[in-house]
Amino acid sequence: MLVFILKRSISLLLTLIAASFVIFFVIEVVPGDPASFMMGFEASPEAVEALREQLGLNAPLWERYLSWIVGLLQGDFGTSYTYKVPISDLIADRIWVSLPLAAFALTLSILIAFPVGVLAAAKRNSATDVSIMGATQLGIAIPNFWFAMILVLIFAIQNRWFSAGGFPGWDEGFWVGVKGLTLPAISLALPQASILARVMRSSLLDTLDEDYVRTARAKGLSRRQALWRHALRNAMIPVLTIIGLQFSFLMAGSVIIERVFFLPGIGSLVFLGITQRDLIVVKSVVMLLVFAVIVVTFLVDVAYAFVDPRLRKGR
Amino acid sequence: MSLLTIKDLSLKIGDAEILRDIDLSINGGEILGIIGESGSGKSMSALSIMQLLPSGSVTGGSIKLNGVELLDKSEEEMCSLRGRDIGMIFQEPMTALNPVKTIGDQVAETVLVHDNVSREEAMKIARSTLDRVELPADQFPLNRYPHELSGGQRQRVVIAMAIALQPNLLIADEPTTALDVTTQAQILSLLQKLVDEDGMGLILITHDLAVVADLADHIAIMQNGVVVEAGETLSVFREMKHEYTRTLFAASNHVPKRDERRHVSKDEVILSVEDVVRDYPVKRTSLFKKPGVFRAVDNVSFSIGRGENLGLVGERGCGKSTLSRAILALDKMQAGVVHLDGEIISAGEGASRAARRKMQVVFQDPYGSFNPRHRVDKLVSEPFYLLDAPPKGAERRLLVERALENVGMLASDADKYIHEFSGGQRQRIAIARALIIEPPLIILDEAVSALDVSIRAQILDLLAELSDRLGISYLFISHDLSVVRAITDRVLVMKDGVIVEVGKSEDVFRNPQHPYTKQLIAAAPDIEQALAAREKRIN
Repeated sequence: MLVFILKRSISLLLTLIAASFVIFFVIEVVPGDPASFMMGFEASPEAVEALREQLGLNAPLWERYLSWIVGLLQGDFGTSYTYKVPISDLIADRIWVSLPLAAFALTLSILIAFPVGVLAAAKRNSATDVSIMGATQLGIAIPNFWFAMILVLIFAIQNRWFSAGGFPGWDEGFWVGVKGLTLPAISLALPQASILARVMRSSLLDTLDEDYVRTARAKGLSRRQALWRHALRNAMIPVLTIIGLQFSFLMAGSVIIERVFFLPGIGSLVFLGITQRDLIVVKSVVMLLVFAVIVVTFLVDVAYAFVDPRLRKGR
Repeated sequence: MSLLTIKDLSLKIGDAEILRDIDLSINGGEILGIIGESGSGKSMSALSIMQLLPSGSVTGGSIKLNGVELLDKSEEEMCSLRGRDIGMIFQEPMTALNPVKTIGDQVAETVLVHDNVSREEAMKIARSTLDRVELPADQFPLNRYPHELSGGQRQRVVIAMAIALQPNLLIADEPTTALDVTTQAQILSLLQKLVDEDGMGLILITHDLAVVADLADHIAIMQNGVVVEAGETLSVFREMKHEYTRTLFAASNHVPKRDERRHVSKDEVILSVEDVVRDYPVKRTSLFKKPGVFRAVDNVSFSIGRGENLGLVGERGCGKSTLSRAILALDKMQAGVVHLDGEIISAGEGASRAARRKMQVVFQDPYGSFNPRHRVDKLVSEPFYLLDAPPKGAERRLLVERALENVGMLASDADKYIHEFSGGQRQRIAIARALIIEPPLIILDEAVSALDVSIRAQILDLLAELSDRLGISYLFISHDLSVVRAITDRVLVMKDGVIVEVGKSEDVFRNPQHPYTKQLIAAAPDIEQALAAREKRIN
């Protein structure tokens, strides 16, 4: 198991290096000169050139790549062209919104999806199963921002239990922060939970049909025991894959929900970076997201190996 | 009183009548063999005893274990009975074990579900049970996972799970069908030993007459959900009162009649395989280390004459299918050369279209070998793509119909989809597909292994007739010695990627030279020998 984790870590590192190359060079190729963008259209060529020099845009490609990487390793992401503040500060402010929000939404998604998926599978083709499948179909079909608006309407405007938007910050206390993220987390979680529940159900139905479940029944296990002891763990591999994908999505893909609730998150930061040609912000944030995705993938891989002994052999 | 008495058992699933008027009984220490082809209801009878039937099943009649009616038991009562009083083992050892749990845990679970004992106690029982099924502690510690064991070893673990609590009755549903002959012999003798030691009753369900002839005290022959004949083994086989018994018996020993005018050419070589080597890369362990190789086929040479039927036998993993894939140029060879009726396939290269149209193949699985979305017409005419001027329109249709008629199907079957046919019919269609461009060589890779004996006999007749009439050569690959003996002129015996023996089929089977061939032939069950041994014991 230790060898397995070590080997996976090495491949994680290699993936990160490869990703950094791709991100850096793709951003280089994207049209639009940040310097002329910052100076505006009326700026003289000399002034733009001076700014390019100042920003280090005239140095050779590999030199700029290396200085970017060295900076990243020291936690120095560079300075935003538009905000004129260190990017690390921009990210630090927002990561404490996006990361907890993603974790919160994912936790909710799992808490909803597991029991619902297992219940549907255990009661296959029953009225319960059919209604659960119908509900999850609806959950997938309806966009999360619509959920968000409905939630705001009910819980913020009519009942005033939650605020309709904005984030009070963690300084106000843990529960205040959690409360501020609750509505966005629920609206993010509902479609995700619907997908996860369906995956859980179909994966569990597949394993329930496996020969070893029949063997377990022949040993004298009841249907329920066979499900919990034998089918469930084997059904986890596809479920873990989806959970990994969902977390990656939630980290950066929540930009619409961030907008609906006026949350200062990572998604909004990238969005602004792109529209304002603040390429250094885009580059750094994308690198950070890639890092997060790769780490999550790594964790999912380790979880696979934990679930399935066949994957442990250091391969 | 019998251990198990089944009276007037009937089973319906939905509207379909699966079982009817089943009467069976078995005593402790006895082996009852249930024989039948697929769909005869033999597995459903076993599942009725276990009450593990698919949902929507309705049973009638009576199943009494030690005088207690099982059909009246609640699901909860059945749970406490299964595993304790009745154990069951299944056909597929590769999938019968939970891949994520250790073998110790899985055997101990039988004990833990039924008895109020500590985990240590259960593990101790698991250990001693694994010892009983001949999986000793030094090689097979309790923390082994199923994927670390071979098929035969896994089947032993499944048996250990079933007998951990020394049940009165053990039901074995095709326990050795998925295993090699030598492994089969070991598992069967283990079952026999356990029956003798524990005095439990064993119901052995199989399609293989030879297996029951050797092992069972009583046999019951099933067809279409009915027991057509039952009784003491020797008398059933010697008297064969029911016609179906005779059919079954004849089919399992079937040797197709060959045309006397059949001409097997020694001089005109169709296929010549010279020093073929096939290496597989072993799974890569590191990004930077070159992956190792496993030599699956090691310097194999042989040839097939025009019209000759050559057999290739060997156990699982001996390289016989790998060799056939290399000849078919589905995989590239690492060394060697194949000459095929004037065409050359060299190492590291694929086959030319000219070479491909000289050979066709029929695989084992009649269900997986066809695209379910195409009509038979399109499926059968597929090899036409290999021709430079493929026939079109009415001419093409005519050829398809003729190919179908050649294999005993109807011309109108061309308009049907593949799911409308049975396994045997599908295998006929696969042969029609191979025949349609009239190649000089057809490779038959376990082509009759998945078929019931009576269907198998028909397909063997068909193959023999086609070879005789059209002068087609076969490379007939199988793990089943009796089938190879029935249809081939010469045979190759393969072990670990090497041909260990070559010779005329009758000579090799009658008088094997290589120790491995001897071992194979000794392990293969043989009805006549088994019955003779039985008679000797009685007298």
